[in-house]
Amino acid sequence: MADRALQIMQAVGPAWIQDGGREGLLHQGIPPGGALVPELLAQANRAIGNRWDAPAIELYGSLDVMASGGAVRLSVGGEVHFLRAGERLQIPASGTERVRYLAAGGGFDVPIRLGARGTLPVASLGGYEGRALGGGDRLALAEDEDGPDERLPSLETGSRLRFVPGPDSARFDPLARERLSSEPFRIDLSSNRVGTRLEGPPLPRLDSDAGISMPMVRGAIQVPAAGLPIVLGPDHPTTGGYPLIGVVIRADQGLLASLQPGTTVRFAPVEAEDARSIWREHAARWGLVPALR
Amino acid sequence: MSLAVEALGEAALRLELPPCLEPRAVLERLRSLAGVRDVVVAERHAAVTFDPLGPLPKLEGIFDGQWAVGTERAARLHTVSVRYDGPDLERVAAFAKATVEEVVRLHEERVYTVRVVGFLPGFAYLGEVDPRIAAPRLETPRVRVPAGAVGIAGSRTGIYPFVSPGGWNLIGTAIDFAPFDAESGAVFRLGDQVRFVRG
Repeated sequence: MADRALQIMQAVGPAWIQDGGREGLLHQGIPPGGALVPELLAQANRAIGNRWDAPAIELYGSLDVMASGGAVRLSVGGEVHFLRAGERLQIPASGTERVRYLAAGGGFDVPIRLGARGTLPVASLGGYEGRALGGGDRLALAEDEDGPDERLPSLETGSRLRFVPGPDSARFDPLARERLSSEPFRIDLSSNRVGTRLEGPPLPRLDSDAGISMPMVRGAIQVPAAGLPIVLGPDHPTTGGYPLIGVVIRADQGLLASLQPGTTVRFAPVEAEDARSIWREHAARWGLVPALR
Repeated sequence: MSLAVEALGEAALRLELPPCLEPRAVLERLRSLAGVRDVVVAERHAAVTFDPLGPLPKLEGIFDGQWAVGTERAARLHTVSVRYDGPDLERVAAFAKATVEEVVRLHEERVYTVRVVGFLPGFAYLGEVDPRIAAPRLETPRVRVPAGAVGIAGSRTGIYPFVSPGGWNLIGTAIDFAPFDAESGAVFRLGDQVRFVRG
């Protein structure tokens, strides 16, 4: 089936192609990227039989699209739509969800850049021309392999976000560690793919300097001198000078990122070994198996 | 040599590097270990990432004894032309109690080594900057630094690969040079050497 494509008629708010990410390039300063909420990417893709990490549109606002060159199966979250050539779908902004994924049967056929197809906005790399989508963009679709559809569960909100403490616990006042595990925090409006900023009681440090650059990973809870924590997201800087009080576990990173600004969250410490068991179960439930490269 | 190793979440370990190890050798050594997926080498720490469902990498004694490893890519010497027209030249000159011309001369006369690759894709921290011009970073970072800007922050100098916020002292602009390439990634790698030439 040649030339099937999804035409973007209009995008209001950011919308860009994301997939499972490009792991293994931290040593070049390239963050893992990938979907802000991998579980929701999986949900959208699996609903129409795609691999969980097929390139989809990560949508923050509203989108107006049209099928071109042939019929297209789409899923917005788990909701499936069938568009004949020339038919349009208008997806209004969500009042309740921070981000949603629009998947198309076969996935979006954008070039592979450094091993993956997702967008790294700071580097204008990957995705559709390295940028957010806009009216007039035409997204080619890959062959629809027509795999079996699968309904994945919804993200469970309301539970504490778990973190592995450290590695800079010694640089914090014990009060900081107590506060992180017992007080509520609110997600700040300025959060994005680089990091989620939290408002709440400051986490007091024992020193105030920015310090030397240290390695960073997604989920790392970094605390600048003022004491308000930032949880690093998929497009995080690979090194940074702020001390780390903990790292949010993988099974809860997508959940945190899925929450709208203004939402209240609480944290709970877990051992690394327990976090691995939690991930084993979580990855199995969501089918988040790394793609074979 | 007992290494201080700590959990960095459940899928990474952070270790304190023994002093005087060559960063590129550290990178290659860590990458060669079974179970290691990726490595970040920073100023005094390194981190290894691994599959949380697989075996944990074993880091005990990895820098003891003979551990030289073959390298994938030989160290390169890069020469970058620079237009020394940055907005912070006067600031660095004032710090150095010298003229702008002297600042430029002190910047371009050294051959720098890539000490850390991080922060942004392709961003390389180069050292060591001549102490006379090693001005500390700005108290308030700029919201927007242009791509290609050449900066100094303390003992480090570097080239911003993209438009981004930044707190370094901007002394010039790299000419016809991009530190990051969409096909091959970061241009500067640990252990490479870099010279700046006024162009």
